[in-house]
Amino acid sequence: MLISLNEIKKYVAIPEGISDQDLISSIGSRLVEIEEVIDWAPRYQGVYVAKVIKATPIEGTHLNLCEIDAGAHNQEFNQLENGLVQVVCGAPNVRAGMLAVWITPGSIVPSTYGNENFKLSVRKLQGYESNGMLAGADELGFDNEHKTIAEINPKMAQPGDSLIDVFELDDLILDVENKSLTHRPDCFGLIGFAREVAGILGVDFQEPFWPELTPVHDLPIGITITDQELCPRYSCAVFDLPEYGKKHYLTYYGDVFLAKAGMRSINPMVDLTNMIMLRTGQPLHAFDYDKLVEVGGINKPEIIVRAAKEGEEIQLLDGKTIQCISEDILITSNNVPVALAGAMGGKNTEIDASTKRVVLESATFSLYNLRKTQMAHGIFSEAITRFTKGQPAAMTYPVLAETVAEMGSDLKVLAVADEWADHQKQNVVNITTDRINSLLGTDYSVEMITKTLENVGFEVEEKADLPSKGISEPSEASQSKSRIEVSSSTKVAQNVNLRVLVPIWRTDIHIKEDVIEEVGRLLGYDNIPLTLPKGEFNGTQVSPMLALKTNLRDILSDSLAMHEVLTYSFVSKNLLERVGQDPAQSYEIVNSISPELQCFRQQIVPSLIDKVRENVKAGHKKFTIYEMNQVSNRQNGLSKEETPILTTDLGIVCLGDFYELKTKIFALMERGLKIDIEYKQIAPGSETAKLYSYLEPVRSAEILVNNHRIGAFGELRAAVLRKFKLEAPIAVAEVELDQIVDLEPTIAVDVKMSKFPSVERDLTVKVAADMPFGRVSNALYGVMTASNLIYEVEPASIYQADTENKNLSFHLKFSSLEHTLDSLEISAIMEKITVEMTKIGAMVI
Amino acid sequence: MSEIEKLKVELKNINAEYAKIKTLPPEERGEFGRQMNAKKQAILRQITELEEAAESENVEPIDVSAPCAPNQPIFKLDLGSKHPLMVELDRVVKIYSDMGFNVMESRQLDDEFHMFDSLNFAQGHPARDGYDTFRTSEGFIPPAHTSTMQHRALKKYKKDLENGGQIAVVIPGRVFRNEDVDATHEHTFYQCEGVFVSKDANMGQMFGVLKRFFELYYGQKLNIKTQPGYFPFTEPSAEFLIEKPAALGGKGWLEMGGCGMIHPNVLKTAGIDPEQYHGFAWGGGIDRLVMLKYGLNDVRYFESGKLDFLEEF
Repeated sequence: MLISLNEIKKYVAIPEGISDQDLISSIGSRLVEIEEVIDWAPRYQGVYVAKVIKATPIEGTHLNLCEIDAGAHNQEFNQLENGLVQVVCGAPNVRAGMLAVWITPGSIVPSTYGNENFKLSVRKLQGYESNGMLAGADELGFDNEHKTIAEINPKMAQPGDSLIDVFELDDLILDVENKSLTHRPDCFGLIGFAREVAGILGVDFQEPFWPELTPVHDLPIGITITDQELCPRYSCAVFDLPEYGKKHYLTYYGDVFLAKAGMRSINPMVDLTNMIMLRTGQPLHAFDYDKLVEVGGINKPEIIVRAAKEGEEIQLLDGKTIQCISEDILITSNNVPVALAGAMGGKNTEIDASTKRVVLESATFSLYNLRKTQMAHGIFSEAITRFTKGQPAAMTYPVLAETVAEMGSDLKVLAVADEWADHQKQNVVNITTDRINSLLGTDYSVEMITKTLENVGFEVEEKADLPSKGISEPSEASQSKSRIEVSSSTKVAQNVNLRVLVPIWRTDIHIKEDVIEEVGRLLGYDNIPLTLPKGEFNGTQVSPMLALKTNLRDILSDSLAMHEVLTYSFVSKNLLERVGQDPAQSYEIVNSISPELQCFRQQIVPSLIDKVRENVKAGHKKFTIYEMNQVSNRQNGLSKEETPILTTDLGIVCLGDFYELKTKIFALMERGLKIDIEYKQIAPGSETAKLYSYLEPVRSAEILVNNHRIGAFGELRAAVLRKFKLEAPIAVAEVELDQIVDLEPTIAVDVKMSKFPSVERDLTVKVAADMPFGRVSNALYGVMTASNLIYEVEPASIYQADTENKNLSFHLKFSSLEHTLDSLEISAIMEKITVEMTKIGAMVI
Repeated sequence: MSEIEKLKVELKNINAEYAKIKTLPPEERGEFGRQMNAKKQAILRQITELEEAAESENVEPIDVSAPCAPNQPIFKLDLGSKHPLMVELDRVVKIYSDMGFNVMESRQLDDEFHMFDSLNFAQGHPARDGYDTFRTSEGFIPPAHTSTMQHRALKKYKKDLENGGQIAVVIPGRVFRNEDVDATHEHTFYQCEGVFVSKDANMGQMFGVLKRFFELYYGQKLNIKTQPGYFPFTEPSAEFLIEKPAALGGKGWLEMGGCGMIHPNVLKTAGIDPEQYHGFAWGGGIDRLVMLKYGLNDVRYFESGKLDFLEEF
């Protein structure tokens, strides 16, 4: 929404010493978020009122050779001998004697200011020198269409006057963020906005005088509201449309005022209703009376406001025929739709050149319904923007009266009707000053509080004093020095009971906190002294899962050189299908912006697989990526609070084989987390194989802790590699972090260092080719542990020369805490190893 | 004769000269002995230096600008990386935790009750549409703000309040908005929510906490200011801005998030008496902190999974 600062100043006397910048920054911190401040003055530099002295048609063209007079400014440009300036003009309405708008050479055409910045010069047209141009309303930025050149009423200006002075163009326009005023219907009108500005500045605000409008019944008119919820109040007036004649002059309220709000002149009737809307926030709509009667098929107007039927059609003013949704509200003439309430009038009752009599509507509608209307039909007019904030029913009639008054005293009003079943009650909030101060952390006096509220239209009644609880001293002085400061009283404020009567236009104020917000905001949050909570903080608790992830991040990225990635929580059905997961097990997004984001993921690994190819193509040959994030499977059902059960998984994708990833997982679990793990080959067709459907079972393992599965890892299935256009080997792991988050470390830190020298031995055993390595190593560990020595077993190699047998080699290291080991002791252990190996069919060589 | 041999001769001469010590009167012997010893030590040092230099005589010089010696493999350092968003999130959480806040994590799938009802959004209120939420076929909602956890946080720590303490929690998490992605918009991003409730919580404390957090985060004194905001779950509500820290070039203000005093209906819904207790809550984006920190201009990098991006961190 665009707000003219000059217009605000018409309602509020800005105190001396407060600059526009101070004012804007206060508005920005206490009323509304300001997105941009647009300075209008620079765009009208070098634009003057000029009188056309002579206009001579140039033969064979539509052009006129004009001699113009802009008073003292003439001498700044190429003057003719007679002192005038020559301009070539192609507009049909140019004529000697008129006052036109002259954009001088060297000046920028205002409508292009800030965009293409089109600068005028002295140039030749048809051989005649033309100094700048005579402008149309479009070139001045007041209209979108080029019609004629603009004409100025001689009563308003003299030749040579700057356009800035004639039309109050030395103005700052505030582009405000509507969202920050969603709850403030009153601020969508200049009056309401200005009232707030007065409140912020702490100056008196003169409430506008609303004229009386006594009901007239010279013509019959009926209003029926079928549902008070949809339309709390419907007021209207019928009058004969005055003879406006053709619009002649560029005017402030008919053009410039509207342009400052981003609107355009349409016709005098509509311009007037728009002007009233911009001032009051209450949109109005004018129907052609005779058409309204005719459409209804009876001889008098019967306005019925009702809900639309699904699919019901109406042709709107813009010529489009829409099909209604059931939430739409229709204004009908004896049940025939004549307007889509709040949004747009119907084509069948449009005001046109033949209109003699008008029905002017001033009504309020359910903002919830209009919000649906707005979305369903994509109508985002200034009117519906205001209606969807919830304009107060109490204001429809006063605004109607104001409009009628603006039409002039000659206006013949033929009928006035007002349907308002449920009169709006005035909200009352009872509150104490202590409550206000204790929630804000301030010590505002009752006088300050009362004055602040009264400034913006509240009525405040003081009741008997209450015992004061006193306000604690702030520990840190106010840090921010706002230019518009609040002087707080130094003594402890007295606690006073207040009865706060809410103005009718503040439909958003219901509870104590709403009143507290008014006081805090208007006096400036930036004036609240900053403190820190005083209570004692106890030791803090970090969610164990968050702590685990932080720990894992250190291990995986810093120690194991993996890269942490983040990918979306939603994946496509196609991705799930390619890794063999059932999309039906995913929570499905029904309003997704893209099929790529349709299913909540069941595991992390599929998302990571999807990121491999792109990185390989970018030249990364060897890498390991991981992600820790939430996953869900519909099979797991709902929690006690009936929300989906979410778990956190660690997914790893490694451009390497099973054994590389195994080494990393071992390091992660046993070195990093100090948790003993075991591996078990995944049986093809098993439940585990199904859960990790992207793994090649014969080249994969479950990870077990205390015989309980915490995840699985292994190489990708051939089909998965093919579908993702990837090359083997790629090993992946999916670990359920919820399974390990509460586990205590099972590997104790046991530092034993011998001061005696260690002894090393190499061991090679020959076994059958199908002998699992684990059987041999377990047997070996058994002997080593029984030795009661400090030992290390390091696998050295697996050598397979033929299909029958293989040689497994180990490097062994022993030491004792008590003495230097002698060769006899070592030989005894080696013999024991030989015995144990033989038992399992391994031969020491 | 080499340099070393010459020095050795000199050493012999000194030793010979030293023998004279016996001929000197006892009171001069000390000074004479010290002088002779100093000379001897100096020569010994020179000899050591020359001998050690001789040992290095055959060492090959290297090209320090090269990645490896000729005919040798290049040593490849394998480095990993942490995601910058997660690093920042950990840092934010650590600061709040040190300030005395408990830490909970946010959920990535939630329901209408937690996302809206418990936060005082009226049924059918346009503010619900304003959040552009995704929905599942069952009506669950991938939350559009971490405030979806407020009700749970209030309930979980209510006992602290009843025991005379306060509720102090921050809740980081991933949130979602159903909108088209471009350089400045992501449908998936991270926020951190803060909730504080006590008998005397007030706005001055809220701004004090926010200021303290950002001072610790940026390691400098800085000011905060507000502009009006509207959230159904806080009253009064505001948006807060911080003074641009020196690390980001100073001057101007940065919008950092929304805040306000917890609406009495939100407290009531969680079983907390709003007449007895007050609270404040705030929330802000993590992505923005990271983008500002590194001068990133495209939010889409974060979820791209591109190593070229991640390797920068």
